[in-house]
Amino acid sequence: MSDSEPTSAGGPAPRSPVFVTTHWSVVLTAGGGDTTGARRALEKLCQTYWYPLYAYVRRRSFTPQDAEDLTQDFFARFLEHDWVANADREKGRFRTFLLSALNHFLSNEWDKARAQKRGGGAPLLPLQFDTAETRYTREPADGVTPEQAFERRWALTLLETVTRRLGAEYDQAGKADLFAALNPCLVGDRTAQPYEELAKKLSLNEGAVKSAVHRLRQRYRLLLREEIANTVASPGDVEEELRHLVAVLGGRA
Amino acid sequence: METERICPNCHKPLAPDMPLGLCPECLLKAGLNTGPEPATGSSASSGFVPPTVADLAKLFPQLEILEFIGKGGMGAVYKARQPGLDRLVALKILPPSAASGLGFAERFNREARALARLNHPNIVTVHDFGQVAAGALPNAPAGTLHYLIMEYVDGGNLRQIERAGQFTPEQALAIVPQICEALQFAHNEGIVHRDIKPENILMDKRGRVKITDFGIAKILGLTADNAPLTGARDVVGTPHYMAPEQIEKPRTVDHRADIYSLGVVFYEMLTGELPIGRFAPPSRKVQVDVRLDEVVLHALEKEPELRYQQASQVKTAVENIANTSARALNAPGPEARPNPDALERQIAARDYHLYIGSCIRRGWALVRRDFWSTLGVTWLVLVLLAAAASFGQTTHHHGVMTFDTSVLSALLSGPLMGGLNYFLLMRIRGQHVGAEAAFAGFKASLVHLFLAGFVTEVLTVLGFACLILPGIYLLVAWSFTLPLVIDKGLEFWPAMRISRRTVTRHWWQVAALALVLFLLAVSGVLACGIGIAVTVPVSMAAFMYAYEDIFN
Repeated sequence: MSDSEPTSAGGPAPRSPVFVTTHWSVVLTAGGGDTTGARRALEKLCQTYWYPLYAYVRRRSFTPQDAEDLTQDFFARFLEHDWVANADREKGRFRTFLLSALNHFLSNEWDKARAQKRGGGAPLLPLQFDTAETRYTREPADGVTPEQAFERRWALTLLETVTRRLGAEYDQAGKADLFAALNPCLVGDRTAQPYEELAKKLSLNEGAVKSAVHRLRQRYRLLLREEIANTVASPGDVEEELRHLVAVLGGRA
Repeated sequence: METERICPNCHKPLAPDMPLGLCPECLLKAGLNTGPEPATGSSASSGFVPPTVADLAKLFPQLEILEFIGKGGMGAVYKARQPGLDRLVALKILPPSAASGLGFAERFNREARALARLNHPNIVTVHDFGQVAAGALPNAPAGTLHYLIMEYVDGGNLRQIERAGQFTPEQALAIVPQICEALQFAHNEGIVHRDIKPENILMDKRGRVKITDFGIAKILGLTADNAPLTGARDVVGTPHYMAPEQIEKPRTVDHRADIYSLGVVFYEMLTGELPIGRFAPPSRKVQVDVRLDEVVLHALEKEPELRYQQASQVKTAVENIANTSARALNAPGPEARPNPDALERQIAARDYHLYIGSCIRRGWALVRRDFWSTLGVTWLVLVLLAAAASFGQTTHHHGVMTFDTSVLSALLSGPLMGGLNYFLLMRIRGQHVGAEAAFAGFKASLVHLFLAGFVTEVLTVLGFACLILPGIYLLVAWSFTLPLVIDKGLEFWPAMRISRRTVTRHWWQVAALALVLFLLAVSGVLACGIGIAVTVPVSMAAFMYAYEDIFN
C-alpha cells in the first residue's frame, strides 16, 4: 500500500530523511489546484486509510454489498471532485477531514440507485473488498460508536503500515530473522527488555543486542512519526495526533 | 476458541490480528517522547546523536568549545571561541549518516567554497570548513565528521521570536528588506538557498537579520539531482515553505523558489498563520497596509514566471510601502522633498557592486517581457528628443570642435529622459504603468529635471571642450542625476552631488557599465540597423537596473 523505502546498503542504518514532504501537507499546499503531486499524494493517503472508512460504514449498519459500493463510490468522487479545496487550516488532520467528507457524502450525495447503475467504469483505487469483510467480522463486536470504530481502526491501520515498512526494511537488508526476534522489544521500557535471553538466542553479546534494539526502536519511532506526519498539516501536530490515537486505543477517547 | 493472550507490558488482553502480534496501545505509546532515549520533538528526528562538548574539544583543539546550542535536521551547532582571534564562532557538525552518500566529500568542498564567497552583512559568514577524523566517537559510525565554522549570531531565529510574541507589521516590514538584500546578493552569486524558513533566519541583538544554512541542503545531497527516485519523500525543504515547483518539478528549481519561501515567511510574520489552501490576504486578517497584499500574493504565485523575478524587487516594493505609510503618519507638513543629506548617508552606508552582465540580462528580460510597450515608449521619447534637437538648431564653433546644439533639446532632454527613466523604473518594479508615465517628467519635478538635464548637458559640453577627460569623468559621474530627481524627488543640485559622490566610489565600474551599454546600444546597427530598435531599450533598461542596484 504505501511504499517501503530501500535503505542504503548495510542494513537499516538510520538514513536521516532530514526533510520529508508529507502527503497531507502536499495536498493542502496545492490548495485545490489539481497538480499531479497533490493528486498522487491524495491517492496514496486514500489507499492506506480506506479500511477504517469501510469499518465505519459497516458500523453504520450498511450491508457488506452496500458498504462496498459506498466506499468505492465515495473515493471515486473524493479524488475526482477535489474536495480538498475546501480544506483549510482548521481541518488540520486528514483523518477528521476524511470522515467529515464521508458524512457529507452520505447525507447529500450517495444514492443507492445511482451506485447500482454505475457499474461500467473500472474502480480508481484497487481496494481489497474481498478480504475487508472477513477482517470486519473478526473485529470485536463491542458497543462502540461508528466514530470510535473508525478512529480505532485508523490507529491500527497506522500501526500496520509502520510495522510493515519497518519489517520490509529489515527484510531488504537480509535481517528478517533479527527483526522477528527483536520486534517484541518495541513495546515497554528500554530497560525492561530481555537482553540476556536475546543475546543467547541470537548468539551475540549483550552490548550488540542492546544497540540493535536501540536502533530498531529509533527507526520505529521515526517511521511512526513520518507516517503520522503524512496525515497532519504541520510537523507540530504530530505529537498531538499521536497522543490522541493512544487515547483512542486505550478506550478513553 | 483461541485462548486470549495478554500483553506482557500492560497486562491487558491482546486481540488477535494485531500488528506484529503486539499490543497496539503499548506499541503506539512507545512512539511518544518518554524516557531517556534521545528522541527530539521534531518529526524529522534522525538517528543522529550530537557529540558532547568534551568529545568535540578533543577533535577541535584549535577551538575552545563553549556550549551546545541546538540541533536541527541539518546538524548540531555549538558555540565556540577561536582563542587566537578572540572571537566567538558557531561550529556546525553535519550528521555523519549524511556523509556516507556518494560524492559527498566533493559536494561538500564545492558548496562550502561557494558559501564562503557569500560575504554579506545579512548572511551568516562561513569562516572555515573541513573534516576531522572522528575515531571512536559513539554514534558516529564512520571515520570522518564534516564541520563548518561560521559567524556566531548572538540572538535567536525568527521562529523563537515569533513564539515569544507576534511580530508587529512594522517589525515585519523592517525585516523583510534585509532578507531580500541577502537573497539578492546570493542569487547574484548564483546560489539558491532552497530552504528559507523562520528557523533559518536569525536576528542578532541589534536587530540585524542574518540568514543561515545557505546551501546546506545541497551539501547534504538532498537536492533533486541527488534524491533517490522513490517518490516524493526526500525532496529538500520544509513542506510549508517550499515553492510548488520544488515539489512538482524539483529539477527546474531556481532562485525564484526562494522568493516564494520569502512570501510564506512574510505572510506568517504578518498574520501568524501559514498560507495554506485558500488563505485570506494579510490585510483581511490583521491591520496592515492593503498594498502589502499584492506584494505577498505576487511572491506566492504558484508559477515562478508570475512571481517577482528578483528579491530586490520585493525589497523595493516593501520599502516603498513602508516609506509612504511612514510619511503619511509622520509628516503632515508640506515637506514633500526628502532630506538629501539623510538620503545620501543612507546610500553611502550601503556599498554596491555592479554586475554588468546581470544588468544586461535583466534588461533584456524586461524588454522581452513587455516587448512592445518598452520599445514603443523608448522610441517615442527618443524620436521626440530628436525632433526637438533638429528644431531650432544652431551651430557653435569652439576651437576645433563644432557642436550642433539646440536650446529646445537642451530644455526638453531632462524631462523627457527623466520620464523615460521613470517609466522603465516602474516596469522594473513590477508596476504596470501606461505609456503616459513616460511623460511624468512634465508633471513632477519639472523644473528640477529640466535644470538637471540642461545644466548637466552644458557643463559636460564645457568639460569636453576644455579637456576630453574631465568631460568623460563628469558625464559618467552625473549619469544618475535624472533618475535620482525623478525617483527620489530630490532637487537637482543635491541629486547631482549624490550621483557624483556615489559614482566616484566605484567610478571605473560605472564607467565600464556606461561604455558597455553604449556599445550594446550602438551594436544594434550591426543587425541591419533594425537591431538598434531593440538594443537601445535594452541598454536603457539595463542602466535602470544598475540604478536600482546602486541606490535601492
